[in-house]
Amino acid sequence: MQLRPRQNMFDALKGRWADRLLLLIALISIVSTWLIIQSHIAAGPAMAEIYHGQTLLASYPVPQQGEPAITLQVEGDLGPSDIIIDEHGARIASAPCSSQHCVLSGSHAHAGDIIACVPNKILITLRGSAESRFDAIVE
Amino acid sequence: MRLLNNEHSPAISMTALARPPLPELKTKARWLALLMLAIGLHVFEASLPSLGPWFKPGLANLVTLIALAMMGTRAAVSLSIARIIVGSFFIGTLFTPTFIIAMAGGLSATIVMVLAWRWIPGLSLVGISLLGALAHMLAQFVTVEALFIQQATLYYALPPLLILSCISGWINGALAEYICARLAHERI
Repeated sequence: MQLRPRQNMFDALKGRWADRLLLLIALISIVSTWLIIQSHIAAGPAMAEIYHGQTLLASYPVPQQGEPAITLQVEGDLGPSDIIIDEHGARIASAPCSSQHCVLSGSHAHAGDIIACVPNKILITLRGSAESRFDAIVE
Repeated sequence: MRLLNNEHSPAISMTALARPPLPELKTKARWLALLMLAIGLHVFEASLPSLGPWFKPGLANLVTLIALAMMGTRAAVSLSIARIIVGSFFIGTLFTPTFIIAMAGGLSATIVMVLAWRWIPGLSLVGISLLGALAHMLAQFVTVEALFIQQATLYYALPPLLILSCISGWINGALAEYICARLAHERI
């Protein structure tokens, strides 16, 4: 493969036709997969599922505005993690891992969002939507 | 390099040192310079505020791509492995889950870039970098799912991160193409 001499950074950013074709294929594949996943997990009431490794520890509905927050402590490989589920979504309030990436990632509320503490093997996934839950109450 | 004993003199003669040829020394020096740069970028990226869970701009991978384009497959693979080991040592994650995930991502990206460089005609460094960035992100998720959190629900978060990988891979590839062309022009 020969490197083409580039005049400036803008020329390099354009890429070749094969690069652009590859980008198009990649984006179409990713967006299609994303839409399929969203249609699968956005149905139903808003729920937060908490896993430790392969085990589903608990599944809680995400509280609506004005409802009390849910606070719980789950035991991971390294120690206990404190989890808060409130009207803003779910978050890990404290964890025994050294990096604290899971704590710093904050609250997540959208269907498909995940919060993972890899060293402690704790995973929180969010599915469903608040609108779906409201519909269910009307019924 | 080998030291030769001089039977007529008890002291080791400095002139008896078998010196490697200059082109070999230049190649080693260039590889080491790229390694230092890659380690510096690895540490710099670790100190950046998180742009999202598991997402980094992949600047250290840019150096692997430059090594691949300028020095070949062996230099790129060895640079990638050395960068992750030494870089993880400096940021304090050596032999932790973070290290395993980084090694899986970095090695997968390098292998995919090497294969694309050799076997896919028409792609520039931009396309090769794009494939490397996607392989890096996919390998990270597969490693976490296989070794740490055995939940398929983990993959729910993958598509938006793959889109970010496309953007960072494209920009890094353009940077690599520009830098390689400049270095070739300057004959460094």
